[in-house]
Amino acid sequence: MSESYLWQDGTLRSWLLTRDHKRIALLYLGSITAFFALGGVGAALIRLQLLEPTGTILSDATYNRMFTMHGVVMVWLFLVPSIPVTLGNFLVPLMLGARDLAFPRLNLLSWYLFVASGLLVLYGLFRGGLETGWTFYTPLSSDYSEGRVLPVVLGIFLNGFSSIATGVNFIVSIHQLRAPGMTWYRLPLMLWALYATSVIFVLATPVLGITLLLLAFERLFRVGVFDPTLGGDPLLFQQMFWFYSHPAVYIMILPGMGVVSEIVSTFCRKPVFGYRFVAWSSVSIAAIGFIVWGHHMFVAGESLYSAIVFSMFSFFVSVPSAIKVFNWLGTMHGGSIRLDAPMLYAMGFIGLFTVGGLTGLFLASLAADVHLTQTYFVVAHFHYIMVGGMVSAYFGGLHYWWPKITGRMYPEIWGRLAAALIFFGFNLTFFPQFILGFEGMPRRYATYPAQFQILNVLSSAGAGILAVAYVMPLVYFGWSLFRGARAPDNPWGATGLEWRTASPPPTENFAETPVVTTDAYDYGDLDARAGRADAGGPHHV
Amino acid sequence: MSDGSVLDHHSPYETPLHRDESAIAGMWLFLASEALLFGGLFLVCLVYSQTRAGGWAEGVRHTNLTIGAVNTLILITSSAVYTLAVEAGRRGDNRGVVRAGLGAAGLGLAFLVLKGVEWGQEFSENLFPGPHFALHGPASGAAALFYSFYFLATFLHGMHMVVGIGLILWICRKARQGAFSPAWSTPVDVVGLYWSFVDLIWMLLFPLLYLIGRA
Amino acid sequence: MARIAACWGMLVLLLAAELAATWAGLGIAVCVVAVLMVLVIVLGFMQILRGPPLAIIFALGGLFWLTILLALGSLDSFTRTTVPVPGGALDGPALPDRAAVPKESR
Repeated sequence: MSESYLWQDGTLRSWLLTRDHKRIALLYLGSITAFFALGGVGAALIRLQLLEPTGTILSDATYNRMFTMHGVVMVWLFLVPSIPVTLGNFLVPLMLGARDLAFPRLNLLSWYLFVASGLLVLYGLFRGGLETGWTFYTPLSSDYSEGRVLPVVLGIFLNGFSSIATGVNFIVSIHQLRAPGMTWYRLPLMLWALYATSVIFVLATPVLGITLLLLAFERLFRVGVFDPTLGGDPLLFQQMFWFYSHPAVYIMILPGMGVVSEIVSTFCRKPVFGYRFVAWSSVSIAAIGFIVWGHHMFVAGESLYSAIVFSMFSFFVSVPSAIKVFNWLGTMHGGSIRLDAPMLYAMGFIGLFTVGGLTGLFLASLAADVHLTQTYFVVAHFHYIMVGGMVSAYFGGLHYWWPKITGRMYPEIWGRLAAALIFFGFNLTFFPQFILGFEGMPRRYATYPAQFQILNVLSSAGAGILAVAYVMPLVYFGWSLFRGARAPDNPWGATGLEWRTASPPPTENFAETPVVTTDAYDYGDLDARAGRADAGGPHHV
Repeated sequence: MSDGSVLDHHSPYETPLHRDESAIAGMWLFLASEALLFGGLFLVCLVYSQTRAGGWAEGVRHTNLTIGAVNTLILITSSAVYTLAVEAGRRGDNRGVVRAGLGAAGLGLAFLVLKGVEWGQEFSENLFPGPHFALHGPASGAAALFYSFYFLATFLHGMHMVVGIGLILWICRKARQGAFSPAWSTPVDVVGLYWSFVDLIWMLLFPLLYLIGRA
Repeated sequence: MARIAACWGMLVLLLAAELAATWAGLGIAVCVVAVLMVLVIVLGFMQILRGPPLAIIFALGGLFWLTILLALGSLDSFTRTTVPVPGGALDGPALPDRAAVPKESR
């Protein structure tokens, strides 16, 4: 077997011009980690400000720019790309049994587009920032904002093409590059989830693009598109923005669901309960996720008729989400569960996602939403999904596939500690925010009435714990690169083609194209394989 | 560029046909994405042309129908001519690809020039929305909205034309190097899909920008 | 060659029909002709039926989601109760006062 992809050609040039999906995944990993840190700094400053009712750290204007920075960076430069471009890029060809993605050059281009968009956004944020929030509502963004709206908006426009390129690549790869015998119902559930995510990438992102282009056009030339003083309809902006941004919420959870399906099966050593239901629930979340966006405008002046329709569809989308949760629990039921770090993250995901999902039902109800919208209840709700859900799954996936990516084991005890700390810190940060919101504390204000201070202090304390817990993996992952134990090809005893090649894999992924003869998660086949290897391997002790 | 009729060693595909079909499918998927990019514009048009019908139609009536119709004819022809290049590519006739490609690109350029002339007229008539907007009266706000839509839609379509012309010139360069053969002419096909799609979008924009309010 | 010429001829005829329908004031006919022109391009020039089956799936998928965007996106605007505001700008004249000030300088 030839050399691993990591060291075959170590020059910087070979990394920057690589077409190898595994190297591109690592380029992405480095970039989004930097953006995650930056967004985290924004969050830390926000929580420091909110320690006191009349925060003294940031001026009101700076506070507004800070939460905008936090939102923009976290959503577009970390969460939307996170699992798809790192784990997804690394794993899609390996899981399919292919040598690379369908369009390797397009894949590299998507990274360059991502970096360019990131730089443009950063330019806007550091040369003054903007105070519109990550949602850029007009006419604030097009007319009244004194911030740097244009570079940020154009950066995100560019970012969209990076997403579209990734989505096209994944969809065509999954259709075209499955190994012999790899039928649709033998695909790992991660691939179903990434396929569904890619559909959203390809079909929702362009609408965000045109919306932001219209906004930029309105701001730049002072012509009416959405501005009510120029005859436009500001709600139309919100309709178009959320046509992308609500499905984007599913971009920020579906890949996590895929990761959790893989982890739960491996660490319970059981096939995922109700494979086809879990697979199709990914697709239906993506599809139904496209027709629920109107629930963001219940109190914004949307017509009642429209609101009722969108409220109803929003309830529909909870059905496939619940199917997933119950099927993971069904998988765990009666399994021999091993509580390694990835499994701790996965279990954290299931719990936190459930809380986030159920509180979403409150917000989908027309009457309850009137009370809860624009409060910290909403903030807590979507952080339970995006941070409690997606970031947990992202870290779980990183731990799970770290041996495959780097060929080294991370220190297990530290991994478990960080997982537990993240779960604790997260809940301490965001659970109080549900109560704050329910009691009526509005979001996006730099100050608040003194009666809310205790809960805010609890929340800020949690954020401190969360910050420490997020730094820990950075440290021990770095340590493991050099000092970690060498990883075997299949350290977890997992099914899936990626575990049938070396850790780390060679550039061409597989010495010979694998042939698939069984369903995903067939542990009997895995044992039989191991038995054959034992019998045939002359050096086996 | 290497000859595309054989696979290079780290290609993810089993056969050249497998690769070429994937490229065609990938382009269609990208075009589906592009359809939604323009879809946002169509939504704006749908909503405003109904809820602000009077002013919107007045805006439509001020566009230059002659130039619009001539441009539509030009684009139809350009798309047809480029399809000749696709056929030539399939025969391995590289000279035919260059000839038809340059013809299609030339017609595309003619479209852009005419569009520029039209824009120039509109600017001089103060039809660009702003403080000196030419149309007055109670519905002028909606007419200005129409012209916002008009300028952005034609700009975006024009940018797609520019990209398309660039791609066609790239195809011509490859053809001059004798790159295409009966076994491999996929890039000619893929660029053809894009070019026809740009044409297709104009077939929808033309009635929206020039006709519906006049009918 | 003959196929391309036929498609071109059909498109030119359809363009003429479109202009005639405009002149006759038949808005619906204009829309129908536009859809026909799109079909000629997709079937005749882009030859979707000759491509891989995936092409058709992707095209139909795009069309389906476009329908969602247009249908649900316009639902609100078409069912909203508009309360007229005195001096409101909904169908009124453009207000040019703030327009003169360049954006990023404010």
